[in-house]
Amino acid sequence: MKKTIAILLCMLLFTGLIAGCGGNGAGSGDSASADAKTLTFGCQMYSDGMICPWQQTNCAWNCMRYGISECLFKFDDNSQPQPWLAESIENTDDHKTWTIKLKEGVKFSNGEDMTASKVKAALDYVREKGPEGSSTPENFLEFAAEVTADDANNTIVIQTETPYANLAGNLADPAMAIVDYEGTGDNYENGMIGTGPYMVKEFHNQVGYDMVKNPYYREEVPYDNVTILFMGDASAKANALLAGQIDIAENIMSVSDLQKLQDDPNFTVDITAGVRCGFSWINFNGILANDDLRHAVLMAIDSDTICHSNTIGDLYTPGFSVLPSGMGYGYETLNNPWAYDADAAAKLLDDAGIVDTNGNGIRELDGQDIYLNYVSYENRLLNDFSDAHTQYLTKIGIGVNSDYGSSDDQWNKLVAGEYDLNNNNWNHLIAGAPDTYLGNWCSNNSANYCGYKNEEYDKLYDELIHELDTDARHDKLVQMQQILIDDGVAVIDGYYNSCMVYNNSTVGYAHILPNDYYWISQEITPAN
Amino acid sequence: MEKKKNKFLSNRGFMIFAVLALLIILASIFAPLICHGVDPIEGELANSIMAPNADHPFGTDKMGRDVFARVIYGSRTSLVSTFSLVLTIFVLGTLLGILAGYFGGWVDAVIMRLADMMISFPGLVLAIAVAGLLGASMKNAIIAIAIVSWPKYARLARSLVMKIRHTDFVAAAQVTGSRTGYMLRKYMLPNTITTLVITAATDIGSMMMELAALSFLGFGAQAPTPEWGSMLNEGRNFMQSAPWMVVYPGLAIFVTVVIFNMLGDNLRDILDPKSE
Repeated sequence: MKKTIAILLCMLLFTGLIAGCGGNGAGSGDSASADAKTLTFGCQMYSDGMICPWQQTNCAWNCMRYGISECLFKFDDNSQPQPWLAESIENTDDHKTWTIKLKEGVKFSNGEDMTASKVKAALDYVREKGPEGSSTPENFLEFAAEVTADDANNTIVIQTETPYANLAGNLADPAMAIVDYEGTGDNYENGMIGTGPYMVKEFHNQVGYDMVKNPYYREEVPYDNVTILFMGDASAKANALLAGQIDIAENIMSVSDLQKLQDDPNFTVDITAGVRCGFSWINFNGILANDDLRHAVLMAIDSDTICHSNTIGDLYTPGFSVLPSGMGYGYETLNNPWAYDADAAAKLLDDAGIVDTNGNGIRELDGQDIYLNYVSYENRLLNDFSDAHTQYLTKIGIGVNSDYGSSDDQWNKLVAGEYDLNNNNWNHLIAGAPDTYLGNWCSNNSANYCGYKNEEYDKLYDELIHELDTDARHDKLVQMQQILIDDGVAVIDGYYNSCMVYNNSTVGYAHILPNDYYWISQEITPAN
Repeated sequence: MEKKKNKFLSNRGFMIFAVLALLIILASIFAPLICHGVDPIEGELANSIMAPNADHPFGTDKMGRDVFARVIYGSRTSLVSTFSLVLTIFVLGTLLGILAGYFGGWVDAVIMRLADMMISFPGLVLAIAVAGLLGASMKNAIIAIAIVSWPKYARLARSLVMKIRHTDFVAAAQVTGSRTGYMLRKYMLPNTITTLVITAATDIGSMMMELAALSFLGFGAQAPTPEWGSMLNEGRNFMQSAPWMVVYPGLAIFVTVVIFNMLGDNLRDILDPKSE
């Protein structure tokens, strides 16, 4: 009897051993597809991984980032729009009529030709459905614009009512991706059909996507399969890379992990100066409307030290303007009257009568202890910046109540005005120009969430969005930046540097572009 | 009383761990002296994530704060919150358990059904839910864990009371006109207190762990308050590149929990009537 039980137990253990070895790890595959090349990509999950361009901005970005959709134009390393699905673009002198020649031989992943009519259908549909979502396609191509398709010449003509400085940049936004809405049918949230190198095979909720190569892609597609794995934890991507569970990951945000990967010869870290600016909104409807207090806050924070510290590790380039310093907006001509000087900040407060009278270490304004409500969330080191700011502010006697939550919490509190400081990270090049982003501080703009108002700025902003001359636009951008700096409208974290990290043994080449719309592309190739 | 005193003093294990526990308590009280005036909250970004050195024996964290000072000051947060928590659940659970056991009937039914509801969920998960609803702070973390932990004491106190509720000496006391308050105070409480004190003593370690766990998950102490659980959370992303950020607070939790657990065990050995 004992022998029988022992044999049964051994069999059970053996079965368990075999079952345990049969896991469906990322690197494993069935024997029939043993030669198939598979790329495993680790990335942050945004908007539950949905990929319908008109639904949400993040969905539009997901679709493009996963290599599913493409636009007529694509931003290059200098953030200039270059033809992608388009061959060329011409415009009339009044910047209202745009003729776009489409690339020949482009097909959607369902085999349908990308005709001029299909392009028109995509551009019309996204604007038709736009009001139901939050991608705001009308910001890139106005509702009144009329698209005419000429299938014979493979050309579309876009007629707008208002002049556009550079429509190509607007059409490069992921919301304006050329996808086959009609062919996609009901599975638009997770099965959008595009012209990109890869197409969705299967979606796994909260886990990721199984992708296969688009058999109709106009160029050679290097991988047969791409597995996208969502990874939220800051260190998860780095650890997965080191463990060989993924081949490539976007934006490792833990400095220590990034340094470790940079020091490891088995990995390549591709970093580029991005188009994102990290900044904390200052609420002008709150206590920081006080000029002396606001200016002291700005002077108390040493942005250079923070960015160069081991904590931030130069993942951000320090700066004092809301527009990144390396993008040709005349940063070098700007003057910062609120450069770091903690002693001067303390003196400014003392002179303004904002002092600590009750001896609790916190200064008072109008008889009340100053405690700033600092809203932040865990993304791109924002909480670390907020902690660092808090530390500096405490040193000059300004208290801070940290309110860290999710990105949704941060956004809702921003919109509701429930903050004194609200830290976030914005892509300043929406539609290839900083106009939309700068609208954040225009008093009659719906995106002005901080209550800031400056008539001179409003006037310049109105002129900027109608200005077509490049030099005149540049001058206005410089003036507008200087106004925002002088008024101290935001605490600038710095300018975020994007990165892509890959395992040299499995990936031969990958590159991250400044506009982080682009992650997976046919340019990512296997090793050897 | 003399006999009890000798019992405590003659138990070597108890004395060793009592002295060690006392040292921890003294360290928290005299933290400013031990840290030579280093502020656990103030840091210099320029000195962030520095390995242990002469100036910072435990290194610095990501805000450039001294990890040694934070570990020492962290004992204040951990000990005060743990003792507050244990005292809360001890008092609340004992009171409700004695009432349930003594009165029986609907009082017993209501209290025990409440207790059943609390223990039908996994403790820490329910505590996370409660802390999530109340908001992240050490006070709310104590409330959250107290809400899920009191039934243990209530059930124990109830069973001990029920054991003596219908004994002759209780009946005699009632017949001689003892009032309810007097009955509870003079007969019920003394008959339960020893076992409950032993339970509370052995709970100190586990409660400390639970509070640290909530802080680690972001539901307890908030930065920049020095607290061991939140320090572990802050340092976890640097576990490989800057291990000192997790090793020292982790060690502090380990050592403190072991000492208080051993102290509780030895106290049980001394007070447990079965061992007499």
